[in-house]
Amino acid sequence: MGIRELQGYATFFMTIIFVVLMYGYILYLYRSEKKGEKDYEKLGNIALDDEITSTPINTTDPISDEKKGAK
Amino acid sequence: MQSNAALEYDYTIAKLYTYTAILFGFVGMLIGTLIAAQLAFPDLNYLLGEYGTFSRLRPLHTNVVIYGFTVSGIFATFYYLAQRVLKVSMAESKFVMFIAKLQFFLYLVAATALVVTELMGYTQSKEYAQMEWPLDLLIVVIWVLWGIAMFALIGIRREKALYISMWYFIACFLGVAMLYLFNNMAVPTYFASGGVGSIMHSVSMYSGTNDALVQWWWGHNAVAFVFTVPIVGMIYYFLPKESGQSVYSYKLSLLSFWGLMFVYLWAGSHHLLWSTVPDWMQTMGSIFSVVLILPSWGSAINMLLTMKGEWNQLTDNPLIKFMVLASTFYMLSTLEGPIQAVKSVNAIAHFTDWIPGHVHDGVLGWVAFMIMAALFHMAPRMFKREIFSKNLIEAQFWIQTTAVVLYFTSMWIAGITQGMMWRAVDEYGNLMYSFIDTVTVLHPYYAIRALSGVLFLTGFVMFAYNMIKTMTSAKELTEEPQFRSPMA
Amino acid sequence: MFHWLEKNPFFFAVGVFLVIAFAGLVEILPNFAEASRPVAGLRPYTVLELAGKEVYKKDNCIACHSQLIRPFKSETDRYGQYSLSGEYAYDRPFLWGSKRTGPDLHRVGNYRTTDWHENHMWEPTSVVPGSIMPAYKHQFTNVADIETAYAEAVTVKNIFKTPYGDDIKAGKEAWEAYKPKVLAEAKAVAAQMKNKDVKDMVAAGKVPEVVALIAYLNSLGAKRYEAKK
Repeated sequence: MGIRELQGYATFFMTIIFVVLMYGYILYLYRSEKKGEKDYEKLGNIALDDEITSTPINTTDPISDEKKGAK
Repeated sequence: MQSNAALEYDYTIAKLYTYTAILFGFVGMLIGTLIAAQLAFPDLNYLLGEYGTFSRLRPLHTNVVIYGFTVSGIFATFYYLAQRVLKVSMAESKFVMFIAKLQFFLYLVAATALVVTELMGYTQSKEYAQMEWPLDLLIVVIWVLWGIAMFALIGIRREKALYISMWYFIACFLGVAMLYLFNNMAVPTYFASGGVGSIMHSVSMYSGTNDALVQWWWGHNAVAFVFTVPIVGMIYYFLPKESGQSVYSYKLSLLSFWGLMFVYLWAGSHHLLWSTVPDWMQTMGSIFSVVLILPSWGSAINMLLTMKGEWNQLTDNPLIKFMVLASTFYMLSTLEGPIQAVKSVNAIAHFTDWIPGHVHDGVLGWVAFMIMAALFHMAPRMFKREIFSKNLIEAQFWIQTTAVVLYFTSMWIAGITQGMMWRAVDEYGNLMYSFIDTVTVLHPYYAIRALSGVLFLTGFVMFAYNMIKTMTSAKELTEEPQFRSPMA
Repeated sequence: MFHWLEKNPFFFAVGVFLVIAFAGLVEILPNFAEASRPVAGLRPYTVLELAGKEVYKKDNCIACHSQLIRPFKSETDRYGQYSLSGEYAYDRPFLWGSKRTGPDLHRVGNYRTTDWHENHMWEPTSVVPGSIMPAYKHQFTNVADIETAYAEAVTVKNIFKTPYGDDIKAGKEAWEAYKPKVLAEAKAVAAQMKNKDVKDMVAAGKVPEVVALIAYLNSLGAKRYEAKK
């Protein structure tokens, strides 16, 4: 197999993989929000409430924190 | 750390880069206006002897506006907003402060050296990578220092979730690092030849078509990671903050981010359509350029929707005007780019003035507008004074908008005229025009562009004056404004 | 698996890097395996021509002139045969340019003469009425750096195997020994010119920039490989 052929296959399959990953990520984003594990939109407030004295939106690891918040 | 009640954000570095952004913006745009005028009135080429010709000044213009104005703007906004979205002050870490100060000092050295060496004619003749190897090394150091400061700040952050703007700044850091290194691989001839000749000279590691590929992989993606990625990062912070509206969809911003990262890099070969690079690669460049519309518009539409229900702010807050128009110009130029990347359109557009036209609706309408709006927003917070004059901003907005419109419309017409004349044939199939016919016909459009340069520069001087007045003599503020920037 | 991306800035940075590096890895790198092959009989630039290329770079001719003829009838009619990849094999850097404020120059050596270039560089409108190109009179007095050009020839010969003769080798002595050849080449160009200062300078052992530049421009086109057929 020549380098050109390899290049062709690599391009094709990697593009497919990235497309699958992208769609997987979209699913992941919406599912985890539906299940109440996470609230992404809340993160938008980081820009609005950004005083050094204000309480951070997420203080620790986002995932465990979100879970606590959900309960 | 938490016990310190008087802890405040430290804007020392952001201020320093604000000054250089204003300085280099003025210098770069002044040179730009001069060379635009030179094309309309060639006698202007002889103002500075050999150092004043169009050809010598043109890379100086691009480099000063890119590496002087835009990169200063990027650093200024980074050292401002990174503290805020991470909720950590630079005053808390002597290390970060030292690194950032060192970076600024080296940046000044590099910027000065860049101007001097380019005027003298030391150049690699690679577009947007003209600097010779000693300067390249210095730039690598500056960039690495920025990375250290960035990750050190991230390391001591209180806000554990990274805001979108930080994603974009991290991507800017990584992308430019990778591309810059690869494109500037060169062998200094002095050392390779046993000490013969000039120490400044180097020869590219790549030759011919390969060199072209690497160069436009860089050239295209320098636009991605300097003119797009960090500027998107800015608008994701400054538009919500100034308007008090949280970003319309955080999820959409995540998706646009990854889409942009993946797609942008592939599109570089659209600069080499119809050239001697392999055909499939040209086609790939075209296809991905069109796909690129999606993530670009994703971000832009997200920004416009952030203003949903708050459009009244557009009429009474000039900074919102700047930012909304910036994202509109971003949409325009990310649609125009893919159109130019279609092979049949490119056959006409390539090598003509339509290309600088396209570049400038992006850099003037999007990059410069966004940076100026960001600096205006930062000024009351950094200097604890209200913005000197609202009327001046309003006037500046309209003058500069007129300038951008004049620029790209004149260059569209000029480019398409020229492209069509180059290929026009008479009834016997002979070329209808000699080359010089296609140059002289452009005179009115070049004159219009020079006028648009004068207008934009005028607007920039108004910006600079307004900023300097804000720093020195505007009314002092007792407390920091939360959203809307106060202005007199 | 997506938790990781959002959780840790380090994993995030690695993710971004992989995504952006991937295109380059697949699109750019494999081409280097097929190193640029020169067209049959192509000779490298002479030292004087290399010095001329430096003048071309220094005065940044690529701001307005391309060196890439695209495969369209309108372009081949105007400039000559379309450009081949192999013709650029010894071009470091490539000088295709991205803007044609002036015409393409890839085959300018086929149809312009030393005399034409001399007039043109001195006063462009004297040969092209209406031209907006500035005059480059300083090239008639500035001295071209032929020593650095020689260093470049040595570098590309030793590191990139560009086929130069055995007389191109590292070190100051080798350069001193080689210098007369460059001067002789410059004299041949200057003999076709009329500017007295240029002739005087060449006679005094210095090469004005314009002489090197014209040697370079004359080498563009088919001359570097057709002569050997």
